[in-house]
Amino acid sequence: MPPEARLLSLGAYLPGAPIDNEVIARQVGGSAAELLSETDIQSRHHAGAGEGPSDLARRAAETALVEAEAVVADLGLIVFATATPDVTFPGSACYLQDKLGAGTVGAVDVRAQSAGFLAGLDLALSFASVPGALAADGAPRILVAAGEVLSTGLDESPNGRDLTPRFGDGAAAAVVGEAAHGTRVAALRWYTDGAHAEDFWCEFPASRRYPLRIMPEDLAAGRHYPRANLEGLAPIVEERLGAVGHEVLDAAGWGVDSLNCAIVDYVEPRVARAAANAVGVANDRVDVPTEHFGHVMSAGLPLRLAVLRGGLAPGSRVLLAAAGPGLAWGAAALEMG
Amino acid sequence: MISRTHILGMGHAVPDRVVTNDDLSKLMDTSDEWVQQRTGIRQRRHIGADCGATDLAHAASAEALEAAGLTIGDVDLIVFATLSPDIDWPASAGLLAAKLGASAIPALDVKNQCSGFLYALSSADAMIRAGRARHALVVGGEIHSTGIDITTRGRDVAVIFGDGSAAAVLGPSPDGTRGLLSTHLHAQGKFAEKLWLEGAASRNRPRIKPEDLEGDDPSAFPRMHGRYVFKHAVTRFPEVINEALERNGLSTRDIDLLIPHQANLRINEFVAGALELRPDQVANNIDRYGNTTAASIPLVLYEAIREGRVSEGNLVCLAAFGAGFTWASALLRW
Repeated sequence: MPPEARLLSLGAYLPGAPIDNEVIARQVGGSAAELLSETDIQSRHHAGAGEGPSDLARRAAETALVEAEAVVADLGLIVFATATPDVTFPGSACYLQDKLGAGTVGAVDVRAQSAGFLAGLDLALSFASVPGALAADGAPRILVAAGEVLSTGLDESPNGRDLTPRFGDGAAAAVVGEAAHGTRVAALRWYTDGAHAEDFWCEFPASRRYPLRIMPEDLAAGRHYPRANLEGLAPIVEERLGAVGHEVLDAAGWGVDSLNCAIVDYVEPRVARAAANAVGVANDRVDVPTEHFGHVMSAGLPLRLAVLRGGLAPGSRVLLAAAGPGLAWGAAALEMG
Repeated sequence: MISRTHILGMGHAVPDRVVTNDDLSKLMDTSDEWVQQRTGIRQRRHIGADCGATDLAHAASAEALEAAGLTIGDVDLIVFATLSPDIDWPASAGLLAAKLGASAIPALDVKNQCSGFLYALSSADAMIRAGRARHALVVGGEIHSTGIDITTRGRDVAVIFGDGSAAAVLGPSPDGTRGLLSTHLHAQGKFAEKLWLEGAASRNRPRIKPEDLEGDDPSAFPRMHGRYVFKHAVTRFPEVINEALERNGLSTRDIDLLIPHQANLRINEFVAGALELRPDQVANNIDRYGNTTAASIPLVLYEAIREGRVSEGNLVCLAAFGAGFTWASALLRW
């Protein structure tokens, strides 16, 4: 195979023990059975005290570097996709860079919510495939991390009944670089439509609000917690996810029957499944990350890919697709290395 | 395959409301003399009513597209550099896309503080050259004034920052020769908390609480170890500028115009001195806008072009250093 920019390795990390619906029901009300039937989620993981996305991503990145037979000195850039950075600024990429001991290599946060890993991967593949784009000698490796700690920003009162059970924490990391072997990204597309931004959002802190972006009354009103109109969004998300799934399969020149599996993520698993079905993938070949550990926005797709790839022979074809706040959505066609 | 990208058009937008040092001295214990002496800032712009960075960026982007002779329909990537997003999430790039009338476009935020615009420029350059986009809107925009403590308690930071936005359309170089020669990106997270905003922090449980807005040193406002930042800035600026020059077989004598990030005029004077640049080789506008973080470099470049300080064939060097720490440079053959 000719050298091209590929996904060379993957690491994943979920913090602590799974937190089941009993625990969440004690906060937001209802029973565990009701939460399960409302969300299709059995459990999720929550970061420990003081743990941010960069701490979770560090574990994932160390695994990914070992698997790629790379050391931090080989890195030309660190890209970190997160909607929930460790602190407001600087970004989580800077924290991860320090935790990995990566000298003065460039580090950047990108924000595209649940499409964050796909956007970060697209950026990394671009940097890796353009000679000299990173002004580095040789073929630099790029670390793409995706990590979220959503649990510290959730409403643990009955007002959080609809959304609090749906989110989880976790991180994944991939090494991308030019090589003759590795997972080939046959097609990748991602999009944003800001017209639906306020249908699924966390409003505060909000820099646009004069005179202060966060005030005690905002906290009292719970405007720093996620809010969503999931019912209104469902048909839109189903349509967009299905369309982008078709688009990447067409771009890759793959028939849907040639897929070994589709990993499709959205905060409402039934919407993700409906989108996969619309592409022509039956439920027995669909894996929905949110069903396993809640919605971890940017990290859901790579977290599940890291697990499922163990059962996929080289050459297997995998469709990744995700949608989330923004709206941001996207898909990728992978040929496993 | 596009081998080189160039800036095809630029635009800018700042709030109408001018806030002078004297205005601030009515709200906090400071003076025009003190602020000017330490930072070179005379005034900055602050919003006076609800207004997001994407509202300013909308105007800046529309101007940039017009200058490039393009419409939003020609753009297939938006990279928005900001550390002050309109809302917590989703990201601002999508909000900007919607304001410009794009309903399905790759649009992401880059959060890299003072180096944000250069990281965004480098990202857009890579994606265009990789064939993933043809024309990209690269925007820096910040609303700082709603996130600083405009009282004596917060004065060290509050006097520095201003609101503003500027945008560039990046696309294929018209002749394959002019345009972006190289970009150089660095970071050192070891110093993350020398200039930072803990604010709403996902690593804290809960990530924000009422006490964070109160006390002697509220974590909901930015904190800066000024002398530490200064010391590193005056080292890293010349280093990363020289890295770019060496990469392209050039020297400081070849620089027609250096556009440094506008954090502090004293830093920029020191850097110009260290590189032995004449005053006409360096462009600053911090006296009028303060530090607009991701918007500072394109704001200066926009004005320099308008003032006729950049001619075809000129070598323009963009350089930044700031929170992260992150630092970066880019060389443009205009």
